Amino acid sequence: MSDFRRSQNEAHPNKTNTLMLAIIMLLILFVGIQIWFLFGALNNALQDNIYFALTTFIGSFLLALASFWLLRYLPDPLKKSRGKRK
Amino acid sequence: MAKKESHDRSEIPAWKSDFPISEEQATHVNRREFAKFLGLLSGALALGNGVIVIRALAFPSKPLEGEHFVCNADEVAVGEMFQFEIRGNEIIPYILIHLEEGEWRAFEQKCTHLTCAVRYREDLGKIECPCHHGFFSADTGEVLQGPPPRSLPRLEVVIKEGKVYVREEKQDKTV
Repeated sequence: MSDFRRSQNEAHPNKTNTLMLAIIMLLILFVGIQIWFLFGALNNALQDNIYFALTTFIGSFLLALASFWLLRYLPDPLKKSRGKRK
Repeated sequence: MAKKESHDRSEIPAWKSDFPISEEQATHVNRREFAKFLGLLSGALALGNGVIVIRALAFPSKPLEGEHFVCNADEVAVGEMFQFEIRGNEIIPYILIHLEEGEWRAFEQKCTHLTCAVRYREDLGKIECPCHHGFFSADTGEVLQGPPPRSLPRLEVVIKEGKVYVREEKQDKTV
């Protein structure tokens, strides 16, 4: 029996691909910003600039939370969805 | 025959076979795994940033206490450089520079780029890091050229009865 999800998937066969690409791109962006923060914090901590380290830590922590939250929207593995169809 | 062989192989339980994991299974990284790895990396970077904060709060850098004798003033001629170390929790190398008559400077010898040993170039009147050609001002320790991100940490030089001492410099911490 056809349901909403199945008809959606059939109408937009590239959706999983697009979603996956978007999630990975966002994750790479977040990780890139975090690397930038970490580099800045390392350099500034050596100059006893604790506030910069603290600010970058808060930013980095929020980005990590956002990354974990994004993982919720990862599409299901294909094998699993095939199994469901059966 | 070939069919029979493959049939036999499939009957062997995974734990008994020599290579229970197929090569494709071991080497293939799908996009879900890659995305999860990026999530993990993101967490690790946040943790790393947290460690910097904890380290800075728990172990603040201690200023140099008291005055330290370096050498006699007549041992270092004008334009010369003298290397010395100060032993505390860790051994930190410094350089003493006799710029002009009565003008002394002391800087940490570790380049702020990748901690190479810096040296005073009298012909240029600058402090040079030979590793990546970074140049610092011999007067203030500021970066003049090259990759170093920060100026050299500086000590105050005091001359007492022909002897050279160094102590922590009182400086404004500007961001």
